[in-house]
Amino acid sequence: MAHDWQPDFEQLVDEHQSMVFSLAWRMTGDRGLAEEIAQDVFLELDRNLGKIETAAHACFWLRRVAMNRSADALRRRRVRGMDLWVEMEDVHGVPAEDRGSPLSARLEQLLATLPEPQRAALVLRYQEDLTPEEIAATLEAPLATVKSHLQRGLKLLRAKAQNHLKEYVRGA
Amino acid sequence: MEDFERELRQAFERRPAPPGLKRRLMEKRRAQRPHRTVVFWQRLAASIVLAAVLAGGVVWRNLEERRKGEAARQQVLTALRITTRALNQMNTRLAAHGRAAQE
Repeated sequence: MAHDWQPDFEQLVDEHQSMVFSLAWRMTGDRGLAEEIAQDVFLELDRNLGKIETAAHACFWLRRVAMNRSADALRRRRVRGMDLWVEMEDVHGVPAEDRGSPLSARLEQLLATLPEPQRAALVLRYQEDLTPEEIAATLEAPLATVKSHLQRGLKLLRAKAQNHLKEYVRGA
Repeated sequence: MEDFERELRQAFERRPAPPGLKRRLMEKRRAQRPHRTVVFWQRLAASIVLAAVLAGGVVWRNLEERRKGEAARQQVLTALRITTRALNQMNTRLAAHGRAAQE
C-alpha cells in the first residue's frame, strides 16, 4: 500500500530532538556525549529517510537507534575505563535551566547507578511512557526479560531512593 | 509504589535539547552532503569499470572459444587432407600393382 506521509528531516529534528537527547543523556550521563549521539542518530536518520514509512515509524526508529548508539557509547567508555556521570557536572557544566528539581537530579543520579539493561527499561518506561511490549520491541529483547528488568530496576531504584532521598520521596 | 512511579514520571520528563543542537546538526549534514555526492560518483565509476571488465571478459571468452573452434576445424581439415593424400597414394600403388600383375 502506498503511504502519503512524506518525511521532512527538519521537522523530524524539531519534533524529536528533545526525546533523542534526553534518552542519550539519561543512558550515558554525559551531556556532551548525549549531544554527539543525538547528532549521529539524526544523521543516520537522514541517510535512512527513504525507509521511514510513517511518523510513528520515525519515532520508533529514533528511539531504537538512540538506545543502541547510547549502549555503544557506554561500551566504548567501559573499554576506556571512564566512570558514568562522574564527569557530568565538572566537564560539561549543566545549565541551570536544565538541572530540573533537586529530586529529579538526585533520581537521575541514582538511575545512573543501575545496571544498563534496567536503566534502559526504566528510561523508556518513565520518560517515554512505553508499555513493556513497546520497550521489548524497541530494545529487541524478550518481553519477559524486559518485565524482569523493569521490576528489578524499580525495586532497586526505590531501595536506593529510600536510603538517599528520604527528604524528597513521598511514600518511599 | 504508585507515588514513587509518579515521582519517576515527573523526574524523567524529557529535557529540552541543548540550544543550537539543530543548527550544528544541519551544518554537519550540509558538510556531509558533498562528501556523499563524491562517494556516489566514486561508486558509480567503480561500478562502470567493473561492468566494463566483466563485459570485456565475456567478449574475450567468446572470441577465444571461436579462435579455438577455428583452430580445431583447421586441424581436422589438415588431417582430412593428409588422409586423402595417403588414400590417393595407396590407390595409385594398388592400381600400379594391379597393372603389373595383369602384365
